[in-house]
Amino acid sequence: MKRFIADNGSIIVLLALCAYYSVVTLGEQHPNTPAAGQEVAAAILKDSSEQVTVVVITRDTVQDRAYSEAVRAAIETGGGTVLAVVNGAPTDARLALEQVGGAFSRVDAIATNHSASGWGPLKPQKLKTTADKFPGISGIKVFKPQSYTWPSFLTRENLVNVINQNAVIAIIAIGMTLVIITAGIDLSVGSLLALCGVTTAVAIQQMAGGADAGTIGLLGACLIGTGVCTLCGIFNGVMVTWFRVPAFVVTLAMMMVARGLALIVAVQYQSALLGGGTEGTPEAVRIEAAAFGWLGNGATFGIPNPILLMLALYVLAHITMTKTSVGRYIYAVGGNPEAARLSGVPVFGVLILVYAICGAMAGLAGIVDASRFEGGRPNAGEMYELQVIAAVVVGGTSLAGGEGRIFGTLVGAMIIAVIQNGLNMAGVASYEQKCVFGGLILAAVLLDRFKRK
Amino acid sequence: MRGVDKSFPGVHALKNVDLDVEAGDVLALLGENGAGKSTLIKVLGGAHRPDSGVIEIDGRPMEIITPQDSQRAGIGIIYQEFNLIPAMTVRENIFLGQEPGRVSIVPAGKERRRARELFDRIGVALDPDALVRDLTVAQQQIVEIAKALSLDSRIIVMDEPSAALSPREVEGLFRIVDELKSQGIGIVYVSHRLDEIFAICDHVTVLRDGTYVDSKPIGELTRDTLIELMVGRKLADEFPNRAVAKPVATDDNEVRSGLTVSNLVGGPKVRDISFNVRRGEIVALTGLVGAGRTEAARLIFGADKREAGTITLDGKELSIKSPRDAIASGICMLTEDRKGQGLILNRSVLENFGLPNLSRFTVRGLIQQKRERDAFQAYVEQLQIKVSGPKQRAGNLSGGNQQKVVLAKWLERDAEVIIFDEPTRGIDVGAKFEIYLLMRHLVEQGKAILMISSELPEVLGMADRIIVLHEGRVTGEIEDVKLATQESIMDLAVK
Amino acid sequence: MLTRSSRWMIAMSMLGLLFVTGCTPKDEESSGTGSGGAASKSDGGTAAVESRGTIGFSALTLKNPFFKIIADSMTEAGKTNGFEVLVNDAERDVNEQSKHIDNYIAQGVAAIVLNPADRIAIGPAIRKANEAGIPVFTCDLQCAAEDAKVDGHIGTDNYQGGRLAGDAMIEALGDAGGEVLVLHFKQANSCVLRVQGFTEVLAEHNKDRESGNITIVSELEGGGLTDEGFKSTSDALQAHQNLRGIFAINDPSALGAWTALKQAKKTDQVTIIGFDGQLDGKRAILEGKIYADPIQFPKQMGVVSVQNIVKYLDGEDYEKVELIPTAIYKKADAEKDPDLQKTPTPAPAPGEVSLIQTFKSPG
Ligand SMILES: Nc1ncnc2c1ncn2[C@@H]1O[C@H](COP(=O)(O)OP(=O)(O)OP(=O)(O)O)[C@@H](O)[C@H]1O
Ligand SMILES: [Mg+2]
Repeated sequence: MKRFIADNGSIIVLLALCAYYSVVTLGEQHPNTPAAGQEVAAAILKDSSEQVTVVVITRDTVQDRAYSEAVRAAIETGGGTVLAVVNGAPTDARLALEQVGGAFSRVDAIATNHSASGWGPLKPQKLKTTADKFPGISGIKVFKPQSYTWPSFLTRENLVNVINQNAVIAIIAIGMTLVIITAGIDLSVGSLLALCGVTTAVAIQQMAGGADAGTIGLLGACLIGTGVCTLCGIFNGVMVTWFRVPAFVVTLAMMMVARGLALIVAVQYQSALLGGGTEGTPEAVRIEAAAFGWLGNGATFGIPNPILLMLALYVLAHITMTKTSVGRYIYAVGGNPEAARLSGVPVFGVLILVYAICGAMAGLAGIVDASRFEGGRPNAGEMYELQVIAAVVVGGTSLAGGEGRIFGTLVGAMIIAVIQNGLNMAGVASYEQKCVFGGLILAAVLLDRFKRK
Repeated sequence: MRGVDKSFPGVHALKNVDLDVEAGDVLALLGENGAGKSTLIKVLGGAHRPDSGVIEIDGRPMEIITPQDSQRAGIGIIYQEFNLIPAMTVRENIFLGQEPGRVSIVPAGKERRRARELFDRIGVALDPDALVRDLTVAQQQIVEIAKALSLDSRIIVMDEPSAALSPREVEGLFRIVDELKSQGIGIVYVSHRLDEIFAICDHVTVLRDGTYVDSKPIGELTRDTLIELMVGRKLADEFPNRAVAKPVATDDNEVRSGLTVSNLVGGPKVRDISFNVRRGEIVALTGLVGAGRTEAARLIFGADKREAGTITLDGKELSIKSPRDAIASGICMLTEDRKGQGLILNRSVLENFGLPNLSRFTVRGLIQQKRERDAFQAYVEQLQIKVSGPKQRAGNLSGGNQQKVVLAKWLERDAEVIIFDEPTRGIDVGAKFEIYLLMRHLVEQGKAILMISSELPEVLGMADRIIVLHEGRVTGEIEDVKLATQESIMDLAVK
Repeated sequence: MLTRSSRWMIAMSMLGLLFVTGCTPKDEESSGTGSGGAASKSDGGTAAVESRGTIGFSALTLKNPFFKIIADSMTEAGKTNGFEVLVNDAERDVNEQSKHIDNYIAQGVAAIVLNPADRIAIGPAIRKANEAGIPVFTCDLQCAAEDAKVDGHIGTDNYQGGRLAGDAMIEALGDAGGEVLVLHFKQANSCVLRVQGFTEVLAEHNKDRESGNITIVSELEGGGLTDEGFKSTSDALQAHQNLRGIFAINDPSALGAWTALKQAKKTDQVTIIGFDGQLDGKRAILEGKIYADPIQFPKQMGVVSVQNIVKYLDGEDYEKVELIPTAIYKKADAEKDPDLQKTPTPAPAPGEVSLIQTFKSPG
């Protein structure tokens, strides 16, 4: 048990955070499922003895439609009449109420859900004034599902959100973990992300056929984007090894150069779009190919694709680091480069590879970002390097090199994600958030360190 | 020290150990590798906190929790790894932490004078303004001793001080020890070289497996009884017997001619070196420290850039540009500095062991950890490596056991030519014999061994042939070791 | 040297302190929620406003007072209408903003307000809100993404504001005309519109003129920030010795420009026109540092945003796109401004007084 805690300090920190936020965000939850709809229908049927007349009012979303459909079906099988089903905005609700109020002499009930019940036209006072003009609804009652208490942090939707939102950071963190294990650092990842996004976007628009781009074209464009970033990574690696420039300096320079390139490409592209006369603005390069959004905004088996990609990459990276020679070499180079070299480890090759992987991961993240926002943003990924480094360090990787675990980084990224999400959910004001955020990161690392001792 | 107890996760390093040092007395602290000597010293120095036990000085119990406590109590410690700052001068290192005030100006002149006084006291001359990184290991040791004296230490502890010194430098050290002794300072001396113990020590305390075994005046002991105390059994010989017959020339002599090095040049220290090591023989490369022995070996191994010269193995010229090339062509090298160059201290012993051998354990790109662990376990038994398990961090091993892990990693490589640079440095007598046996075994299998050693008895006891270097050149070769003496070697070495 | 356990104690108590200080505001906030919930339950028809849920506001950046004012006025207006307003700072990053929107959806807010950090890239996030049936309102900055449905926008008529700035510049430089620098922030479309309006007015002014043209000699990035505005202006002053006017697209960069002028001792040669009318800017106008500002009305934006949400939820009609025209604000306005009276400026240092006087004399 003690051993487990020592090895998995960061997991425990993560769970503790989740528990804390669950308590803090405890609040009313409002069911909106077909089952809830049936309950509401049953309540309506029970409430009135004679043949009941009902108006169903919800918003226009997939879930709400399913809900209202369930209500309608249940009312009708129960012998009631559904006068109208409204799936729309508050205005539609008002119009529909006026209509039924005028057309029918007696409307008994409105079946609705929590969101729509907050609309003005459904408020008792408003209903009363409407009833003055349209007397059919004078006796109307509003029914909605029973709410229950549950932490809003701990809903499936929110948890999926947390992971999905931070998949990009987590993906880059894989590369960063490798670099930091070799006692290096890569500050250029945020800029490389932007560069990849912009390059990919331009490639799709210009080379793959824009809106008509096929799968092969899209893949090709992604390959170009990640390829460019990988090359930048290799450049970083070569500078660090052959030219012995400190990684901090090389990647700082690359951070600026890549950001500049991303902006230049975007501006040039915009300017070309406008006919070349005026200078463009550094806005996102729009990607018109609808299929490209699949990666960033689509889902497979109900799980968002970025999460799946992230998990796949983590598994791959974990196997590489624990089960292959390359992984052993990376640890060895980080622990003692001279001893590694004298044991026959190709130190330079390993370092260049590591920086290349880091660039490639930033590139992949850039593609996810571009896909999510349907455009290559030259301003994407600003300050990501620090978030990513924080994730890696919180995950237990030592900046001194030679130590660290891939899944530790995933946990670290999730700790940061949860801290941020929880602060947002709990409504901590944004200035205070920064203090708390910084403090919590420190706390997470400290706890982990003390556990390890 | 009374009843000192200390445990690390998975290791009970000290069990109820006692230690007595008297003023003006040299106490030898002895024991096998991993017996707990360094740990005991670290407890005394406040680097480790004992789980229980008391430390008394002049009959008064002292609380020693931090290195500062230990200094204040008059204990000066010279650790196995030095604690000097290479970029600072001798003087600055000696008086580091003793500056008069936090922001006041350091009185350089006064410090320089005091440093000279200290050096006078131990009878050496050293420039107080030299940079520590320019000093030899022996000189750095002197700086450490001076530092201990500057703190008015009444007890000075030296953990394997002679391990990194040449025979001549060891003599210098002995003089210093005598000098200190005559000034009434108590000394704790750790070493695995028994002749040193008999030369300078007055009393002996022996540890085995973390337990206190016995304390005796040196006069009551002989070499054999001492070894028996340490190892727990009798050791017949110090060196294994040589093969009955030297390898004779056979038909395939040309092919089996082993390693040949001609006109090796590189770096500032290697001018022109040629020699060969045939399969089936151990060749010792000796000379004074600085003669270019290690440097020559590093050039052969590809660790440094070779400027000229050829290396052939069994008549085939090798193109070696990096250690990786050398390893691939069947040459491997155990470096003298195991912490800096031999091991990755923050990784497990298993990973260290596997590093050059991963291709053997890899199937379809994945490392078969069971196979790796089994291979390692075999060496743990053969070399009696004291590890708590394959996952133990290499940095937590005792010095001698670290050396054994390095040995295991290269043995597994099964190379044709093995270069041993100080193979038994810091290794206890028992294990030393095992290693010698192993070297013999290897040459019997037809391997070629190049051995570098500063210990002349070891050279004489093990080598089939001796090559003597002086200032980067070969100054002599002794074909028949039986005729060689320490004197004849030294003659060649200073020629 | 400390023992391990005492190190533990110190670290933990420090963290505890951090946590407590960090969480205090949140505790207040959550107690606020609690009382809101209580009010909704005690539907007794007392003075308590009936709770209508939460509005999520993802602000562009709360480091700029302009958006802070929007956020504050929105929170205020929200409270009187029964809404709790959840304010998040996107720090100019669409990615952050998308996260906020995702969170709002997960929380099931009644409505979302945002200042899009990228008018196109915000599209997918807004679409998600659309799919979740949550109305989205933009404020100050507009969304230009196709097939993202925005239910209402309230903003400044930036183009008109730019024209006012142009008029003010013409007035300040008079018949002599001269060289003008524009401190731009191209990333923001609103600023592009401002500069467009400004440029067009100058072009009209110059059209039938032999002499006394006002020419834009340089358009530099001011980043909308004081420090960058300072750097760009310093550089421009080197390149254009005869500079007579600067149009900065907001107050912070205008103030940066003024610092640069002061260093170059050119405050009397060059006239600054700013934009926004933030408190700092207004004060600078009062002190004569800035000649004039077309001012915006961020407070109104916050209030109208909430009003639009109420109207939307009540099913009533409202202006889908509302552009509030700017008004020009000069020293005379500043002297009458109650906002500036309420917060007296610290007594100006002697050096500054003389600067203002020299500034005054030519005018
Ligand atoms: N920090 C540590 N963590 C875990 N185990 C340790 C640590 N330091 C020492 N040990 C273990 O304690 C035991 C005693 O080690 P120590 O270094 O005292 O041996 P030693 O007598 O000095 O041996 P050598 O002659 O090889 O130097 C060894 O088994 C070693 O592995
Ligand atoms: Mg030791």
